[in-house]
Amino acid sequence: MITPGSQYLDEQINTVKENGFLRYRTGELPTWCPGCGYFGITDAILKACLELNLKNEEICAISGIGCAGRYPVFMNVYGFHTLHGRSIPVASGVKLAREDLTVFAVAGDGDALGIGGGHLPHIARKNIDITLFLFDNSIYGLTKGQSSATTLFGQATSSHPGGNPDTPLNPIKLALAYGASFVARGFAGDPEGLKHLAKEAITHKGFSFLHITTPCVTFDKFNFTWKNLKENHSYIDQSIHNVTDMESAMRIAEHERFKLGVFYKDSNRLSYHENLRNIASKKA
Amino acid sequence: MSDIDIVVEICGSAGEGTISAGEILSRFMSEEGYDIMSFDSYPAEIRGFGKCVAHSRISRTRVLTPGKYSDVLIALNDSHSISQLPVLKEQGVLIYDNKPPKYHDEDKSIAGWLEPGMIPYGIPLNELAIKAAGNARGRNMVALGAFAALFGISQDAFIQSVKRRYGKKKQVVIDNNVDSFVEGFNWTRDNVRKIDFHLFDSSPSDVKRDQLIINGNEAVARGALAAGLHLYAGYPITPATKIMEILSKELPKKGGVFLQTEDEISSIGHVMGAGFAGKRAMTGTSGPGFCLMSEFTGLSVMAEVPAVIVNSQRGGPSTGLPTKHEQSDLNIALFGGSGDSPRVVIAPTSVDQCYQAAVLALYIAEKYQTLVILLIDFFLSNSIKNLDPPPPPDPRYLNANIAPGKDELKDYKRYQITENGISPRTIPGTPGGMFFSTGLEHDERGKPVYDTKTHTLMTEKRFRKHREILKEIPEPRITGWEGQGDIGVVSWGSSAGAAEEAVILACEKGLKVGSFSSMVLSPFPANALVRFCDRFKTILVPEMNYSGQFANMIAPIVTRPVMRLNMVTGLPMASEDILKKIKEIK
Repeated sequence: MITPGSQYLDEQINTVKENGFLRYRTGELPTWCPGCGYFGITDAILKACLELNLKNEEICAISGIGCAGRYPVFMNVYGFHTLHGRSIPVASGVKLAREDLTVFAVAGDGDALGIGGGHLPHIARKNIDITLFLFDNSIYGLTKGQSSATTLFGQATSSHPGGNPDTPLNPIKLALAYGASFVARGFAGDPEGLKHLAKEAITHKGFSFLHITTPCVTFDKFNFTWKNLKENHSYIDQSIHNVTDMESAMRIAEHERFKLGVFYKDSNRLSYHENLRNIASKKA
Repeated sequence: MSDIDIVVEICGSAGEGTISAGEILSRFMSEEGYDIMSFDSYPAEIRGFGKCVAHSRISRTRVLTPGKYSDVLIALNDSHSISQLPVLKEQGVLIYDNKPPKYHDEDKSIAGWLEPGMIPYGIPLNELAIKAAGNARGRNMVALGAFAALFGISQDAFIQSVKRRYGKKKQVVIDNNVDSFVEGFNWTRDNVRKIDFHLFDSSPSDVKRDQLIINGNEAVARGALAAGLHLYAGYPITPATKIMEILSKELPKKGGVFLQTEDEISSIGHVMGAGFAGKRAMTGTSGPGFCLMSEFTGLSVMAEVPAVIVNSQRGGPSTGLPTKHEQSDLNIALFGGSGDSPRVVIAPTSVDQCYQAAVLALYIAEKYQTLVILLIDFFLSNSIKNLDPPPPPDPRYLNANIAPGKDELKDYKRYQITENGISPRTIPGTPGGMFFSTGLEHDERGKPVYDTKTHTLMTEKRFRKHREILKEIPEPRITGWEGQGDIGVVSWGSSAGAAEEAVILACEKGLKVGSFSSMVLSPFPANALVRFCDRFKTILVPEMNYSGQFANMIAPIVTRPVMRLNMVTGLPMASEDILKKIKEIK
């Protein structure tokens, strides 16, 4: 069923497509709410792909369930919308089978920190060479506003109208503790800064954890709003923080919860494939 | 040639060389041209002094079951072996240590527990072992020497076999084993008068059969490797762990990837990822792990991504009986998961078939872009069979993906509705072939849509694949009485061997009984079953579960009364029990 409005937008998309800028986008219109931070994230990632000159057919985008899960629908790559919380193992399977492909795991806060939280430590310690884009809006949006693992303590949600009794997780601290070899945070409201982080995450050899904060404009009107996030977010002063310094990274993650940028990066650590090859050559 | 068909049990404590003695005997008998089937049992708990039984059936004719009762019991440890006496036949032979290292009270000595009619041969196993090698470690070889001397096995041929087995070990190990064997052999030949009637016709021949002696887990692993397996992801669970351990060693040699995951959900996730990326992948588990994989089974069917899961069944429900045999996961294999999800279920009936089933599973999964469950069980996983090395699979089983042509790529529809249900599939990396897969209902381009027409057409398309698969599955195995008869035995999985054997025995007694089994249970060759059942007055379905899961599945298909034989003994199905039931019905 095509409405006159969507037809007009289709035409507009086609014109923009011809400029090459949107060659990673399909003709599908995103189903996210107007004003959603996911538009900014998608924009940042596809610009990163463009600047890295990746071929569409060599990218696999594997997502879970929820608003973030729809990401591959709108991308002109090999996309797989899997199960709630399971984008990490599936993405890992793609990469292990086909080292030549660039693999993205896309997960929301429910996916990566709730139902699928058990996969995170293991992809990190195995250091499988994929990039996890964690779209964190601190709410279950697609099921209409229930508390998630990063919802603030006391925040009123549809599952906890009187206030959330659970303490939120700190995703950066978790990733650091699990031993991810690349840990960074970006913000949907700064697509240009996010693009640089995405490029660094994609080119990092090993598991990259990119936490992306974004508001849910529909189900959170008071806490993680555009206004609040913009006011609180700022980049880590890289002249003070050394990205190979785990203690410094942990300190920032603990005390400055809205800092953006690269927290930690270990470029020397071997990826899973490299370790497998070394073990095999030792045996031979 | 004698038509010998005997069951030998060696019973001892863990660490006494019980299982290895059984293996040496089986290997030798296989080399000599006998058909063997072994089924060892050992405790679930990892601690010393547990009871071990190496159980081997040795026969001139094809062995279908390990046999319920034993002809010969070799007791390396009296207290454990006493509990094996109930399965020793009335005129069975006992080889035991008549001068054990520690003095036994009469009620602790196995000799005091013999029934009249049983034939004991007391051999000073301990003394002879010490005499041969300076310590008692070779008691198992002394016992094998005694066995060989009693049953007419050539000393030279046996020694050659032992030397081949221990070929890579230190010379002193080989010498000690051989000396212990010879000591037992000579002492028995000189001191024991044979009063039983069992005799092998072992004459040393130059041509030794070089057969594989493997269990079902190894057969599955070998089949998967031959079929081009690229990735195996697994999580340890009895009785499937061995598949993982074999592939961990063998896959990297072939350029493949093995990984141990954090749980079974992750295992099947990795398999789906690799399948999506165009490589053959498999995971193996047992009931509890299979439950965790249920959600992914639906995704495989819906998103049409190839996946193969091996489920080696054990006693259930829940953690159940990890080291006991049962066939109670048929329901979850056929129906586990939400929605209308047609899945392929292949249940090999023997160790030989485990190999072929693994090849077939990977082929069907790739060609039909769907879920295949390879349903084996504790008995198949652990029973050891000798078999000729299987020939490499037919090349058509190796590259089965149907890719779109250049014209089709111009307007590519990943989920194109086709007559046979198979939509041409691009592999990531193919320019212009990008698509989107989802567990949501979707249109021909993969876009999520939920309208009535699309859901109806897509559901039909997914089920149409099964109609096609039915055309290329192996014919059901039908044996026994060929005309109109009384009882048709319909069985599945590892119980089919016992059913077939029971039918052979019944036919020898003049009963008009036939046997039917199909390796593929879904899609099920219903027409063949109906034709078979129409020849008999009554149908009997023996299976190792309480609720009659297979009987429930076939009862609506056949027009004859369906009788059931359900057992949850934790042991493999025995032909004796089926034969008894046949006689009751008759």
